Amino acid sequence: MRQFAADPRFLLRRLHSLLGLLPVGAFLIFHLWENSQSRFGAEHYNGEVVAFLQGMNYLPALEIVLIALPLLFHAGYGLIVVNQMRAEPIRYRYLRNWLYWLQRISGIGILIFLLLHVGMTRIEGLWRVSVREDLFGHMQHLLSQPWMFGIYLAGLLLSVFHLANGLSAMGIVWGLTTSARAQRRFGFVCAGLGLLLAAIGVHGLIGFLP
Amino acid sequence: MKGLPAKTTSIRFRIRRQDAPGSPSYWQEFAIPYAPDHNVISALMVVRNNPVTADGQRVAPVVWDRNCMEEVCGSCAMLINGVPRPSCSALIDSLRQPIVLEPLPKFPVVRDLLVDRSRIDEGLRKVRAWIEIDGAWDTHEGAPRISPGEWSANYFYSRCMSCGCCMSACPQFGPHSDFIGPAPLAQVRLMNAHPTGRYDQAERLHAIMGDGGISDCGNAQNCVRVCPKAIPLTTAIGELGRQTTVQAIKDLFGG
Amino acid sequence: MKTTPKAIVIGGGLAGLWATLRIADAGFPVQVFSLFEVKRSHSVCAQGGINAVLDTKGQRDSIHQHIVDTLKGGEYLANQPPVKSMCEAAPGLIRTFERMGVTFSRTPEGLLDQRLFGGVKNKRTCFAGASSGQQLLYGVDQQVRRLEARGQVSKFEWWEFLSLLKDTDGVCRGILAMDLKSLEVRAFPADAVVIATGGFGQIYAPKTTTSSHCTGAAASRCYRQGAWFANAEFFQFHPTAMIGRDKNRLMSEAARGEGGRIWTPRNPRDARAPNAIPETARFYFLEEFFPAYGNTVSRDEASRAIWHVTREMGLGIQGTDRVYLDLTHLDRAFVSNRLGAILDIYRKFAGTDPLAEPMEIFPAAHYPMGGLWVDFERDEFGGMRPDSPRNQATNIPGLYACGECDYAYHGANRLGANSLLSASFSGRVAGESVVSYLRGLDHHRMSLDQAGVASDIDRQQRLNQTLMRSDGSENPYRLHQELGALMTARVGVVRVNSELATALDELRDLERRAASVALGDSSVWANQTLVFARQLQDMIRLAMVVAKSALERDECRGAHHKPAFKIPLPEGKFAGDPEFEDYRARWRANNDQWLKTTIAEFSAEGPRIHDEEIDLSICPPTEPRDYR
Ligand SMILES: Cc1cc2nc3c(=O)[nH]c(=O)nc-3n(C[C@H](O)[C@H](O)[C@H](O)COP(=O)(O)OP(=O)(O)OC[C@H]3O[C@@H](n4cnc5c(N)ncnc54)[C@H](O)[C@@H]3O)c2cc1C
Ligand code: HEM
Ligand code: HEM
Ligand code: SF4
Ligand code: F3S
Ligand code: FES
Repeated sequence: MRQFAADPRFLLRRLHSLLGLLPVGAFLIFHLWENSQSRFGAEHYNGEVVAFLQGMNYLPALEIVLIALPLLFHAGYGLIVVNQMRAEPIRYRYLRNWLYWLQRISGIGILIFLLLHVGMTRIEGLWRVSVREDLFGHMQHLLSQPWMFGIYLAGLLLSVFHLANGLSAMGIVWGLTTSARAQRRFGFVCAGLGLLLAAIGVHGLIGFLP
Repeated sequence: MKGLPAKTTSIRFRIRRQDAPGSPSYWQEFAIPYAPDHNVISALMVVRNNPVTADGQRVAPVVWDRNCMEEVCGSCAMLINGVPRPSCSALIDSLRQPIVLEPLPKFPVVRDLLVDRSRIDEGLRKVRAWIEIDGAWDTHEGAPRISPGEWSANYFYSRCMSCGCCMSACPQFGPHSDFIGPAPLAQVRLMNAHPTGRYDQAERLHAIMGDGGISDCGNAQNCVRVCPKAIPLTTAIGELGRQTTVQAIKDLFGG
Repeated sequence: MKTTPKAIVIGGGLAGLWATLRIADAGFPVQVFSLFEVKRSHSVCAQGGINAVLDTKGQRDSIHQHIVDTLKGGEYLANQPPVKSMCEAAPGLIRTFERMGVTFSRTPEGLLDQRLFGGVKNKRTCFAGASSGQQLLYGVDQQVRRLEARGQVSKFEWWEFLSLLKDTDGVCRGILAMDLKSLEVRAFPADAVVIATGGFGQIYAPKTTTSSHCTGAAASRCYRQGAWFANAEFFQFHPTAMIGRDKNRLMSEAARGEGGRIWTPRNPRDARAPNAIPETARFYFLEEFFPAYGNTVSRDEASRAIWHVTREMGLGIQGTDRVYLDLTHLDRAFVSNRLGAILDIYRKFAGTDPLAEPMEIFPAAHYPMGGLWVDFERDEFGGMRPDSPRNQATNIPGLYACGECDYAYHGANRLGANSLLSASFSGRVAGESVVSYLRGLDHHRMSLDQAGVASDIDRQQRLNQTLMRSDGSENPYRLHQELGALMTARVGVVRVNSELATALDELRDLERRAASVALGDSSVWANQTLVFARQLQDMIRLAMVVAKSALERDECRGAHHKPAFKIPLPEGKFAGDPEFEDYRARWRANNDQWLKTTIAEFSAEGPRIHDEEIDLSICPPTEPRDYR
């Protein structure tokens, strides 16, 4: 214990890793599932899904503790990690090296996307009741603009990639996958998960379109 | 690769030179008569016998490091056509010309292609890459048993010759960071697997759980791709991930 | 005031690191000097293994048998007590290595495995995959690092030993060394010095299996300052080394053992690809010369036969120093299975597939049996007295030698896998002797004369400056090539007195030329050419010792072969037959005259040779060897 106090890098890094999956990754999965409900129309989305969520007790506390803080920490420490990299994706064109590089690039991409996205949804909703009450309509309005749709698509794919690839890295970091074979196999599993999540996400995005 | 055009009559080099640490680097080109059985070292030896550049200028002989010329001592690593590798086993016939030689990156240049790799040694010291023994005398105890399977896993790691290729290819390692790099990490894996080396496992793990330790690896896995000895560095990193996970739980919650 | 005496070890190979460990274990501070990171020392090249009688293979192997094999293999030229002690210590050394974590190969039960190696009947060689020397060196390297972390050892890597500091009584009191980066020359006072700087195969470059730093310069510098150099004429040549421009790489004897055939085209101008040459145009000379053994004749015989065919009959491939080692007639799967690792080495470095095309090979200078003369003290059991300060001591008080740079353990020829053993053992003994020596020192002896040290430093710096300013015409690297070619041609596998005399003349000429070089590099930072030019002069001096010692010894013994003085075994005649008895008498007379250690001493006119009796107290040679 004392050693971590003097030299916390290991713990911070593991915390960063853990929070990436739990709760941030878990939230993303849940969030994509939530948004995939858009296919069933505004009534269902606003009335059942969003209303259920908005009706939860202690919602702000949950949002802050389970989403905002972990995400902020993960993003903040992620920026430090990004800063340690001196990637040479052109010199070393190995798949893992590319994934390593993309993991960091996508982190930055997500950060920018989130500022925009959360600002336009949750934050804007704080003072614009219309947004809060008809999130479906709001999203439909946003996503009907092709460039905005593009931004969302990009943000979605970056996030999904980042989670899936992050998961496969976690396998090594935590020592779940050790042999090259295990790492490759788990990589395929994560890729599968990523594709699935991407499908759910795109499905949800399209569901908002008129 | 014997498929080179038959008209190859010379071997051409582009060499990045640097007179001293901190001084600017510059390029020079050399050409020597072609022969099929050259490797980069034997060709550099020919250049050394008559250090004249391709445009006829007499220059100081190129400085570089080598010793065994059999790829076991680890001295001769450099950047050859952009990739870190030992130069003694780099056969000319398998290289695109002009062959571009640069010092092994990430390590401070001493002169020309000679770099200072003392950071590898520092890393090994930091992670306590040795077995604690009472002294270098006979204790009249037979050897601890090691199964052949375990032996072959360990043997892989014991062949690391500290050439530094893996570290120079690692995007997390370099003057900008205090990451000890993959080679010393793999030695922790090796020492922790020895029947008596295990006794000091916690100390070694604590060493790599500190600054510059295992958490600075970002799993880029270039290291394992460039290692000339095919040392399963990323397997070691995974296994150390597991060991540190367990160790951290012990440290945090007692045990 | 009483200060802790301290020791210097020059050389970070197996021998030097063992000495370091033992001295540091005893609590004395040690400074280790090496030309480069110690773990890059030449010891890493050894592939085969290290001998020790463990008797784990049900062959009733015995330490006595190991002693006898070593002595006979060396044709009785080695003093016997050190050999006895070495063979007795071997099992303990292996156990110690094991505790250090050396990854020795295992049996299915998880115990140490042993295999058969060169010229002995029992499985007695421990090995660690195909990189035994590397593994052993790393074992001690790690221990030295442990002691370094504790502050008991300090390493001076990238420092070169230049000369010994001697006090007015001629006692060694430290060294002068040069930083290979800044070229600073500095004095390092110490109370004892161990020299463990390895062999000197580079005097035969590029036809040598040794690393590029095996110049012998350090030993030569000690010789220059009065240390005796013994048995220099005995140099082992490995018959099958793959030709390379930078060095010749060892091709294991296993290739011949598994059915490889050695041949050369009958017509030296035959320029066809080897596979296109029909059987009738091939000369399988080993099979013709030695019908009984064929391609599996001993190392020495094979080397000499290849020498004879290329150098004397002029039948090397296209007239050069090359013959074929052919595996292409064998079953691919069989050979790949049995020889996989060594074939990979050939592929890696020659770029061709030995299963498709014959390999090109030639004998290469592999191991010098000779080296710095060292003493020993015999105990009542016939071995070396443990902890005697005389063990491994050179004739210069306070200077010890061990490893490949001493002469003590292999006589006229070295058994395979015995030199990793002798390097480890002699290093350990040297360390222990130094400890005894340091403990016995008079604490009130005069300190070193500082003015003398300053003038020594000055002399070394002037030598650097002279070389830097020299406007001669010779390129030191090309002179090195000439040296190698000259030594290979005239002081090589087969020796003839007239050639040796010529060699000495040519060496003197080279020595003169090496003094007027053009470095072509005026930098005072990491100037490798300057460093090499200095080493070259010392190599030439050592080469003279080799040539002179060879000239003086008129007999055939072990690796030293002079056909003019061969005593042939009478064909078809056995004990009792007058012809055989006559042979026996000549053999005895020859031993009486020549079974002595050759000792070379430096003088300005060239090496002065005298000889020394050999301690044959364990197993004296009574009968000539007869393999029939
Ligand atoms: C290809 C090959 C294969 C072999 N295989 C086997 C085998 O299978 N089994 C076996 O028993 N033996 C084998 N040998 C022999 C064995 O490897 C060597 O005899 C042994 O390793 C020598 O060890 P050493 O410590 O004496 O010297 P080295 O390992 O050569 O070390 C010499 C040290 O001296 C230092 N040094 C030299 N000059 C100076 C200087 N001027 N200043 C400072 N430092 C200096 C160097 O830096 C180096 O650290 C083989 C040899 C070769 C060439
Ligand atoms: C697929 C497209 C997406 C849609 C349609 C979408 C939709 C929404 C909506 C409607 C909200 C407001 C919820 C509320 O106020 O209760 C929201 C909030 C949020 N979204 Fe998204 N989102 C998408 C993708 C993403 C992605 C990829 C991320 C990245 C992790 C993300 C992270 C967040 C966060 C952090 C919030 C704030 C949550 C809170 O505090 O309640 N979203 N999203
Ligand atoms: C949707 C939001 C996010 C999710 C679900 C998420 C998830 C993850 C996961 C699971 C990992 C793997 C952890 C590991 O390798 O141990 C990870 C790694 C990483 N994340 Fe995030 N992350 C998100 C947002 C961000 C943001 C905004 C940044 C900031 C730039 C970021 C930067 C990083 C970095 C740099 C890593 C790599 C760590 C490494 O492999 O060494 N992430 N993330
Ligand atoms: S792990 Fe491989 S690349 Fe890295 S130092 Fe060791 S041998 Fe060289
Ligand atoms: S390249 Fe570097 S980031 Fe890790 S996996 Fe290898 S050490
Ligand atoms: S010279 Fe030893 S590895 Fe290349």
